[in-house]
Amino acid sequence: MSEPVVRLRDVWVTYRGGFFRPAFDAVREVSLDIAAGETLGLVGESGSGKSTLGRVCLGLTAPSRGEMFFEGQPFGRLRNRRGQLSVVLQFPEWALNPRLRCGRSVEEPLVVLGVSAEERKRRVAAMLEHVGLDAAIADRLPGQLSGGQRQRVAIARALVTEPRFIVFDEAVSALDVSVQAQVLNLIRDLQAKHGFGALFISHDIAATRYLCHRIAVMREGEIVEIGPSERFYGQPEHEYSRALLAAAL
Amino acid sequence: MSALIEARGLTIAYAARERHAVALDAADLTVERDESLALVGESGSGKTTLGMAIGRLLPPEARRESGDLLVDGHSVFVAGDEELRALRRDKLGFVFQNPMTALDPTMRAGRQVALALGGANAETVRELLARVELPDPDRVMRSFPHQLSGGMAQRVVIAMAIARKPLALIADEPTASLDASVRDRVMETLGRLRAETRASLVILSHDLRMVARHAGRVAVMYGGRPVETGPVERVLKQPAHPYTRALLRAGAGGEKPGERLEPIAGSPPVLAARAESCAFAPRCPMRQAVCSQNRPEPRAVEGRLVACHFAEAMLAERHAVEETKP
Repeated sequence: MSEPVVRLRDVWVTYRGGFFRPAFDAVREVSLDIAAGETLGLVGESGSGKSTLGRVCLGLTAPSRGEMFFEGQPFGRLRNRRGQLSVVLQFPEWALNPRLRCGRSVEEPLVVLGVSAEERKRRVAAMLEHVGLDAAIADRLPGQLSGGQRQRVAIARALVTEPRFIVFDEAVSALDVSVQAQVLNLIRDLQAKHGFGALFISHDIAATRYLCHRIAVMREGEIVEIGPSERFYGQPEHEYSRALLAAAL
Repeated sequence: MSALIEARGLTIAYAARERHAVALDAADLTVERDESLALVGESGSGKTTLGMAIGRLLPPEARRESGDLLVDGHSVFVAGDEELRALRRDKLGFVFQNPMTALDPTMRAGRQVALALGGANAETVRELLARVELPDPDRVMRSFPHQLSGGMAQRVVIAMAIARKPLALIADEPTASLDASVRDRVMETLGRLRAETRASLVILSHDLRMVARHAGRVAVMYGGRPVETGPVERVLKQPAHPYTRALLRAGAGGEKPGERLEPIAGSPPVLAARAESCAFAPRCPMRQAVCSQNRPEPRAVEGRLVACHFAEAMLAERHAVEETKP
């Protein structure tokens, strides 16, 4: 079997305390694997450590204790991982420079990697087509697009380097129901085509179980349950998962 | 006693330099006293325009072309400045999408709430903050908005909205900028305060599942007017309008493992003038010739108002499906 894209072993993240403020464990002893072509859902309430764990997987926060491997190798320096991992955030406005034309925004990660201009042009056009956008969008500014179109541009930008791993942090939470369905289907189709591993962080258990292969439930920094998403259509094992499910549906 | 809020054939258009967009297309809506009603629809369906029209909180480029909107028997469009101020101050409370833009960043929360109360002492402010379930009201009073979490700031906004015991609370996507677990609790607080004060609550939202938990009646908006209005259980369990059904199918939550969600094809229309046909027809899987020729008017079908030529057929289809199930 090939190595998982991301492997965490007994990872702890401790935020240093200050005067009068005790140190705080945001993530406690988390171990998990994400395989290529697999989406792992991460659900839990606010403050449960979801986003911190996402940052660890992206190499933005170093674990205080424990180890993290990327494609079987120690993670190393972020600089050496350029183009291999990516993130899509809740609001596409956070990812897109309002003064850059969308085509340029999608192109930027390739510029950093030193891809030739001709090759860049080809890949941007192909990528926009993959996410279901008209080529004319490349000449528009983010402010001239609808929310769903902007999130597609942000996804195109995240995918243009063909990363091995993507974190979706509340990527569909700000979208209308119908647009949300379109974007969820888009992520599914793109994954089937490109085979990246993904971590889908969300508080929306309904959208998560629809998109993901497996779901991990987080509470107070610990993963209390991890299992195939089919289980979340029936009766999850942990009572906290059941409570989350009951609250959502 | 008459209905609290009544929109009658209200048409509102936004006049831009080149384009003229009809946001409300002869919308009819009634909000009773002491009820909670949700206006649901995609962006561009006109729900915000209708909600904000209740307090005439519309941008300057919005123009009323016909129809009227009455709050407690008085038209908001003929009201003079003083009357309008009194209406907004004493009869209506607004809760907006983002609490951080609704609050004054340069003023401590306690002082803002005191102003909303009309210059009250600290004790009254503290009581009010406790009523919206803010823990440690004293700390909140001393805090500037940026020192509060999103959920806490929204509770401060709610406290200000209910400060003058309004007859109606209008909440525009009150939880869209908040975290999930906080969302439900904020909605519960809003619902409890509504019930206690016997005010009416109008929720504007695109989240059908949230609406199902927190509203009594729902009005599904499309193309600038409600297309299906009725009790939540009835409308969401047995939709009689194809758009309501499409919205329900598009949302994750009802599907079985392995099923694919069906987004609604196409995008909501931007109307240049009054629609002379069904505005949903271009996206509707059930459309017939008549749909693009005649404008469906709302009519009563099985305990709700529906603007669709084929509402009965929709319901019959549903019944047939249920009968064939084992």
